[in-house]
Amino acid sequence: MTTDAAQDPQQLIEAYYDAGWTDGLPVVPPTDASVEAMLAAGGLRGDEVIGEIAGRNQVVVADKVAINAVMAGCRPEYLPVVVAALKGLCHADFAYHGPASSTGGSAMVLIVNGPIVRALGINSGNNAFGQGHRPNATIGRAVRLVMMNAMNTRPGLLDRATLGNPGKYAFCFAEHEDDHPWEPLHVSRGLRPEDSAVTVYASNSLYQVYNQLAATPEPLLACFADALSNLGVPNMKGFNQSLLVLAGEHADVLRQSGWSRRKVQDFLLEHTRRTVADFKRAARLPGAVEPADATTWRRLFERPDDILIVCAGGRAGSWSACLPGWGNKWTKAITTRIEIPRRSA
Amino acid sequence: MKLFDPTSKPVERAVDLAPRPANLGGLRLGLVDNTKFNSDTLLAKLADRLARRHGMTVALTSRKRSPSHEIDEAAVKTLRAQADLVVSGIGD
Repeated sequence: MTTDAAQDPQQLIEAYYDAGWTDGLPVVPPTDASVEAMLAAGGLRGDEVIGEIAGRNQVVVADKVAINAVMAGCRPEYLPVVVAALKGLCHADFAYHGPASSTGGSAMVLIVNGPIVRALGINSGNNAFGQGHRPNATIGRAVRLVMMNAMNTRPGLLDRATLGNPGKYAFCFAEHEDDHPWEPLHVSRGLRPEDSAVTVYASNSLYQVYNQLAATPEPLLACFADALSNLGVPNMKGFNQSLLVLAGEHADVLRQSGWSRRKVQDFLLEHTRRTVADFKRAARLPGAVEPADATTWRRLFERPDDILIVCAGGRAGSWSACLPGWGNKWTKAITTRIEIPRRSA
Repeated sequence: MKLFDPTSKPVERAVDLAPRPANLGGLRLGLVDNTKFNSDTLLAKLADRLARRHGMTVALTSRKRSPSHEIDEAAVKTLRAQADLVVSGIGD
């Protein structure tokens, strides 16, 4: 559907505000040419179905994705990443309705791997979560705009976030695959190193972990385990996934230690825990504290693979990050191969 | 120049609503537990109250896979066959 509107770009931008189609920031008003260029770069017809959210009777169609991607400020060659991310959100195992609608207010974190990272210039280095890089900002923004406009996920309606978080505007970064302690995320999840992929992951918070002294894995990982088992964590009632982003000197500590990814995961599985007494005292579990509760431990993870580990960020600095997963174990991170049409490759 | 509508609405599908019962006395009750924390407790209390007030009996309780997932078709079929009234929908 199209509607006649003003000729002045400023008035056009205001018209998109007036229609309720923006995320609060100004959008780039689409044109026939920009939408067509977007579809062409994705190798898509306008009526192609990208995915479906069955429980909402909501079908995501390519022309709406292209319009929202233009509005977000994407260059056409970004579209395959946006499309792959949306396919991930529509995957049954992502269970979209929960993380998209929950009071927990999750950001949809997009982690990009493979050759497309360099081709598009997606930032994996300094300030990987921050501002300043067009693909990071606009790919993440495009996915959120599609969610709002074409997946029935509007704040106050089927987006019931109590606080939300700034990552709901956009949260896209690339994994730093050079000097990685292990294989990159997409390879650890079954794809080939030469594939490009995007992993979608729902997280309702992010906090940075600092340790400037640890030279071996145990004290460093103890900080992660402690951060992931604080009394306010959302997932203590059931198991879910969490994401660790190793940056700077922390990635070096683990690489130089020779520890495998599995050994790190096993350590975190064992040490990310609190006593039942702790949880009861904080009213995170019901009932009075019993004597045995002081020595009864409750783990936060069920399986080593529930702990996702990636590398990103600057090479200098003693910072990493923990991103607890949304709510329950039924929402799983989804990794989708990015299909790049031959003519735009 | 023109505006490009970025929105799409859910696909409309016809749904047959069950006729509302004329009265609640003695009906067979179905419960759908969406697995939210304490949803089982709340539904049990509700069922108990309905039993005392209206003589209802709990015919079956169906537990969803998670709050994020819709109820599966097999469960809907069973509820349709065994219950006159279904209670669901526990939120935060």
